[in-house]
Amino acid sequence: MNPYSGTEHREGGRVNTALATRPGASSGGDLELALMSTDELPEPADVTAERAAADKRALFEEQALPFMDQLYAAAMRMTRNPSDAADLVQETFVKAFQAFAQYQQGTNLKAWLYRIQTNTFINNYRKKQRDPYQGTIDDLEDWQLGGAESVTQSLSTRSAEAEAIDHLPDSAVKDALQSIPEDFRLAVYFADVEGFSYQEIADIMKTPVGTVMSRLHRGRRMLRDLLSDYARGRGIAVTPTTTRSTK
Amino acid sequence: MTDCGCDKAKAELEEYLRRELSDQDFTDITDHLANCEDCTGEHLVGITLTMKVRKACAETAPEDLRAAILSKLAKA
Repeated sequence: MNPYSGTEHREGGRVNTALATRPGASSGGDLELALMSTDELPEPADVTAERAAADKRALFEEQALPFMDQLYAAAMRMTRNPSDAADLVQETFVKAFQAFAQYQQGTNLKAWLYRIQTNTFINNYRKKQRDPYQGTIDDLEDWQLGGAESVTQSLSTRSAEAEAIDHLPDSAVKDALQSIPEDFRLAVYFADVEGFSYQEIADIMKTPVGTVMSRLHRGRRMLRDLLSDYARGRGIAVTPTTTRSTK
Repeated sequence: MTDCGCDKAKAELEEYLRRELSDQDFTDITDHLANCEDCTGEHLVGITLTMKVRKACAETAPEDLRAAILSKLAKA
């Protein structure tokens, strides 16, 4: 199965045309002209090396930079502020570029970039943020996290709950996501926003698939309870007009 | 409710939503959902939650970020 989604295919198509017209290519063209008009001088080694480095950078830029917005969005959920998010994305690209030789062409570049960004975040930023849950969160029992079925039962029906959640402002959803423990938040983000598979998330977060599933279930449960609470607080979920699901 | 697959369905709805099930399990839950209003409602909440999170999290990087990255790569 090709790991790339539709948009990445599109990016791939664009990459080829971009490669042919990139600004850096003009020096190579000049060189070729020069070589043709003079005698057949062998290309100096340093020019060859320079050209290889420029090609490598162009390839990296054209393959990796299209993920900038996505990586920034993830960085916002990680660091919770625009300035740190921008720094984190810059660091991620520099590190990825330096390690680009280790990236295997044809494998999932997006997942590879996310792994680097998640590592960088954990090593450089998480310490600053003093997440009180860090290291213990997977060991907590559900009752300690406040996730309980009963919380949502007072919403009249499940379709009313779905409708209530659907009407919430984006800011409420972001706030709720920001308030759940980091490991849960990232698992939910990777699965629901980025659509990574459980195995890919396990690789990115360096944790077993079972832990990924547990973080997802609990993270989603907390998110749902927070949003249902919020909706109820706003009086949004008060219209049980139907007990039948409409979709 | 015409069958007794609720426990299994409820336990695996998240995996169903993300297509992380075997073909057989996927078919079983699809069949169950066709007959179970309660689980269908639960599934609807799950889909709604995913869609809301996806929409709320969309971000566009600041305009100068691309230039900043290119400049760092040139020096890297």
